[in-house]
Formats: sequence, C-alpha cells, structure tokens
Amino acid sequence: MEVNPGYSSWAAWKRYTGVTAVIILLTILLRLIDSSPSIDLVNIALIYLFPVLFSAVYWGMGPALWAAAFGVLAFDFFYVPPFLSFTVTDLRYLISFAVFIAVAVLTARLSEQLRQQVRLAREREASTASLYDISRQLTAITDIKELLSNVASQIAMDLNTQTVLYVQSEQRESLEIVVHAPVDSTWGSTESELVIANWVYQNRKRAGKGSTLLPEAVGMYLPLSIDDQIYGVLGVHLGRGISSEDQRMIEALAGIAASAIARTKLAEEAKLAHLTAESERLRTAILDSVSHELRTPLAAIIGSASGLLEGDALFTSEERKELLVTIREGALRMNRLVSNLLGMVRLESGMLGLRREWCDIQDILGVVLAQVKEDQLQRKIHVEIDPDTPFIQGDEILIEQVLVNVLSNSIKYSPDGSEIRLQVQCFPSKLSIIISDQGIGIIAAESEQIFDKFYRSHRAQHLPGTGLGLAICKGIIEAHEGTITAEPNRPQGTIIRIELPLKELEEGKIEREEEM
Amino acid sequence: MEQVNKGARILVVDDEPQIRKLLKVNLQAHQFEMIEAVSGEEAIYQISREHPDLVLLDLGLPDQSGMDVLHLVREWSSIPIIVLTAKERDADKIAALEGGADDYVTKPFSMGELVARIRVALRHAGGAVQEAVLNFGRLRLDFAQRSVELAGERVKLTPTEYDLLKALASHAGKVLTQRYLLQEVWGGHHYESDSHYLRIYIGHLRKKLEEDPTRPKLIMTEPGIGYRFTLQDEV
Repeated sequence: MEVNPGYSSWAAWKRYTGVTAVIILLTILLRLIDSSPSIDLVNIALIYLFPVLFSAVYWGMGPALWAAAFGVLAFDFFYVPPFLSFTVTDLRYLISFAVFIAVAVLTARLSEQLRQQVRLAREREASTASLYDISRQLTAITDIKELLSNVASQIAMDLNTQTVLYVQSEQRESLEIVVHAPVDSTWGSTESELVIANWVYQNRKRAGKGSTLLPEAVGMYLPLSIDDQIYGVLGVHLGRGISSEDQRMIEALAGIAASAIARTKLAEEAKLAHLTAESERLRTAILDSVSHELRTPLAAIIGSASGLLEGDALFTSEERKELLVTIREGALRMNRLVSNLLGMVRLESGMLGLRREWCDIQDILGVVLAQVKEDQLQRKIHVEIDPDTPFIQGDEILIEQVLVNVLSNSIKYSPDGSEIRLQVQCFPSKLSIIISDQGIGIIAAESEQIFDKFYRSHRAQHLPGTGLGLAICKGIIEAHEGTITAEPNRPQGTIIRIELPLKELEEGKIEREEEM
Repeated sequence: MEQVNKGARILVVDDEPQIRKLLKVNLQAHQFEMIEAVSGEEAIYQISREHPDLVLLDLGLPDQSGMDVLHLVREWSSIPIIVLTAKERDADKIAALEGGADDYVTKPFSMGELVARIRVALRHAGGAVQEAVLNFGRLRLDFAQRSVELAGERVKLTPTEYDLLKALASHAGKVLTQRYLLQEVWGGHHYESDSHYLRIYIGHLRKKLEEDPTRPKLIMTEPGIGYRFTLQDEV
C-alpha cells in the first residue's frame, strides 16, 4: 500500500503531539484531583501505562515509545521522590522505568503484527476479488484473441507495466506475439526477449525475474500451460522488482488464461469433430439420395426410349404413348431434383438474394395451384382465403417455391381423391398459411426432423424423394423471418403451418376512382 | 392465323446440338422453316443475311452472351426475338425483356408452350391491326365504346383498371413486364417500388372478371416478371 510521504509525516507529527498532549492532560488531571500525592505510586504508574498501550495499539511503535519515555519523565518528575526533579534517588525505580519501556515495545510490536496481518488479508481479498472478476469475464469470452488481450491488459493495468503474450504461429515453427498491453507498447518484440520466450515455451519452465534462469532480466516469462499442453508464454516487464503478492496474482492470471485457451481450443476441436461427422453423414446421404433419385428416372427414360427405338413395330399406339409419358415423367422428376439441389446450394452458399417486394398471396396461390394442377389428379384442393388479405413483404418466387413444395408433398403423400385444405388466416402482425392433408401423416417426434436436409420418414420410403424440399422451404421461410412447422392432422394426415410477418403497407397513393 | 405461320423462317441460336435437333424436328413439324446459328457472331451474320422472321436466342452462348447479341440486333432490327433461359435466372429474363426481347421460354420447355409463344410473337410483329372488339370466351372488350362485358353484362371498371385491362388484352399471349405495365398505365411518374399498385389493380381486375380469383384463367401471373393475358383461343 503506497502512502503519500507528505501525508505520512503530517500524520506522524499529529500522533506524537496527540500522545504528548494526552500525557500532559493526564498529569494535570492527576495533580488536580490528587494535589498531595496520596494514591499509591504503583497505581499512578499504571495510569501512565494507559497512553502507552493506547498508542501502541492504534499508532504503532514510534508513538508508543515516545509515550513510554514521556510518561516515565512525567512520572519521575512529579511522583518519584525527590519531587519536581528528574533525579532518581531510589535506583529500584529504574527497573520500573525499564519495565515500562519493555511493555511499550512489546505491545507495540504485537499490535503492529496484528495490523500487518489485517492489511495482508485485505490485500489478498482485493486480489482474489480481482481474480474472480477476471476469471468470470474470461469464461464469458469465446474468442481467444479477445480473451488474451483481456488478460494482458489486466496485468498491465494492475501493475502499471507492459505485458506481452506469445503463442505458437500458424507454421508451428516459432512463437509470435498475439497481444501487447498497453496496445502501443513494443516491449517483448526484440530478439533476446523472443529467445527467452521460446526457451520457456520449449522447456515449459518460467524464466526471467523471480526465477533461477536469467533472474537479472527485466521481464518475467511464464509458460501458459495446463496438464501436458502448452499454449503460449506470458511476458511481464518488471523494471523494479515485484512483490510476492503481485507475483502470485500474475501466476493466477496466467493459469486462468491457460485454462481459458485450453477450453476454447477443446470447444473448437469438439465442434470440428462434430462438423466432420455431420458432413460425413450428409455426404453419404447426398450420394445415396442423389444417385437413387437420378438413376431411377434415368432408368425409366433410357428403358422406354430404347424400347421405342428397337421395337417400334411391336407396340400398339396406346403402348407407345405410355412409354412416351414415362419418359416425360422421368425427365420431369429429374428436373425437380436438379431444381431442388440447385435451390439447396443457393440457400447454403448464401447466394439466395431475397427480392423483397409487396406480394399478393392470392396471386401467388394462383400460380402455385396452376403448377400443381397436373400432379393433383383427383385430389381436391380446397382454398380458403379472404379476398381482402393484406400483402406480405417477400420474394414471390421463393414463397411460390415453398408453397409448391409443400403442396406437392401433400399431393404425393395422400391418396387420390382425398381433400387437401389450404387456409390463409390473417392476424394483426402475421399471416398464417395452413396446408392440411389426409395422407400418410407424420408422428409428432418427426415434426422437426422432416425439415432436416435429406431426412426422409420411414413411412415415406416407398415414395420417391430426396428429403430436400422441406429443408429448402425452411431456409426460405426463415430468410423471410417466418416459421414453418409440421404436426399430425386428425384423424390422419399432416398439417404444415407457415407463418410470415405482416407489415403495414401505405396505400396512401392509391386514389379512389369512380367506376365507369 | 395459319397464314402468319406458313413458311415463317426461324433462326435458332443455340450452341447445344441436341437442342437444335429437337427444335428442328418439332418446328418443321409445325410448318416452320428453320435456320441455325451456334454462336453470337454467326447469329448476327445470319440475321443480317437471311432475314429470318423470328429469332430463338439462347442466353447462355459460349462466345458472346446472348444478351449482347440481343442489344446488337436491337440497334438496327425490330425482328421478334424469343429468349431461351434457365429457370433460375429471373434477373436475366427481365433484363432480356427490357432489352428488347419479345418473350421468353424457360428451359426445359414443352413444345406446345414454345410454339404458342412463337405464334404470338409473329402475330404481334406482323403489325396485326388492333381490332376494336376482342372476345375472350365470356369476356368482350370494345375499345371504341370503352366497354367491358362479362357474359353479356357490362362490368364497371375504374379508368386505371380499364387502362390496365386494355394494355394486357391488346398484347394477349405476350408477357408484359411489371415495368412496362406501370409505364403504360401510370405514365412516366412511377418507381420500381410502386409495383404493388400494379398487384392491387390486378387483384381488382381478377375479382371483377375471374370466376375464381385464386385460379385465374384470363390474367396469368409470370412470377417475378409480370403478367400475361390469356390467348383468345385458349379460353
């Protein structure tokens, strides 16, 4: 604890004056109440011990000694015969004086130690609090760079010095500096400092000030290591030495930094491992799905076409037409697959440029219904929409694609002749589009999975599909800040619910016109 | 209508032999004469020398983008041009239509669709005299009287609705971009962001003219591009 020296001498002067004044007052008081000394001398001496104890406890060694000396003088002068003289006739009093001084020294030392302990405890509490604080900050940080810069600047700030952090460079050959604190400091970048840092990194032992290696260096170099792993080196510039308290603080911070780096590294590795597994799974799924989905229609096309070419005379015109229809259907199916794959790629690569315009959902529905018309066969699509449904903001082509995908699914997974309901409902801040069918349905546990890429329900295995359609829908709807969910329909089938945010459209410019 | 098509010469500009072959077989079956070009350069040469009646232009040519060919040709010729594009390229479609293409067909296309587009483009290019009365099934438009009748009943339209219907119906079968319609109906003072007025009025027209506005038969939407009024003989 650093104290202003001017303040210190002023405080000391005050203490000494205080002690002197107390003893003078005490003497005057004693003389007043007891002018012809009748109180036993031992008691008087005990009274004079009081300021000694007091100053020893509160003000320390100096004032206590002064109180003892001054008290002895006063006692001698006024109470030890011959009175009003410093002369001591009975030499036994000298022993009393010595005891007096000894008591003063002893109590002062004791209380001094006590105070020292209190101060240390307070300092430790403060540094613990600071460590706790920074460790809490660090656990919240996930970015290594930010974390290291926090540690470096914390130490630099606490010790009012310069710090530097080295970690292994990408090429894994030598250390490089990642953080300087304060930002504009350059300490730590010269060759000799790098050499020490590298030594520390390789040997995982501390060096520089406060250690056995190069104790004459201006800096202290600590390895940032946990268990067998070393993550970097912390260098602290210590021009004028360091207290053991500060040293402990630096060590603790280095430990925190090391464990934080370890934690982040582990998290990154875990994420990478997860991603690798995930992409492996996806790759397999893509291969399975794409090869199956491409090969099946190709087989149909090639088979039908070569059949027609080779044995044209064998077929009736009816059969010929059937083969031609098969070719067209196979090609259309491949076209859908290619569109879906391209859509997915665009969605995933962020190339999906959203053209936000005011769209009339009724207009979009018209396009969608026309698109699925050929596939729907005898299924009835029952549309419920209020003609005054407000416009939504979005990309009409993408919303159309979503509705085509969802409606095609409803058609694909429900029996011919069944009914599909498409309801558009308006709420103050959102528009709901609900498509419910009476098809094979889903189980509640699958209601999230069916929006995953390449996920296909086991109940749908007998029908062609890639598991891309709904994943694309989800991507598009989420790009519109909307939601898409699925739930089982009662008594059977699936309900897909799409919700899109509604915004206020100013129609101010449209003037009312008279009809002719 | 047949006399418009008879012997019309169509230049197909496409670098894919399979597509050219497919078009040749089908166009000849529909009584068109077909000439070919495999590059932009050749296309321009063929147009200036052979004077075809219509060009089918693939936008994805190897040497020169189809768009450049379109711009070059439009500097000196008003020959009808139909562009062939991939489905995903809506921006290209709009750019081509605004750059002077008469219509577009998305690959993969059906032959029926392509032939219908060709016929419409040839008819509009033939400077077909604007008839005063148009019939589309139950709908009857009389431009001289400014009257619209649906199944014999007069339909009341606002001036904007009437202008919009007139713009659409007099280009029946041809795609009209949003920008073109805004320009045509609202005049010069419109902005790109005004396209929702167009949607609102299209909605009004459908409510008044279509049996089921969610399954329109007269005014078809070309998503992201514009609108196309149905052909007379399709109703």
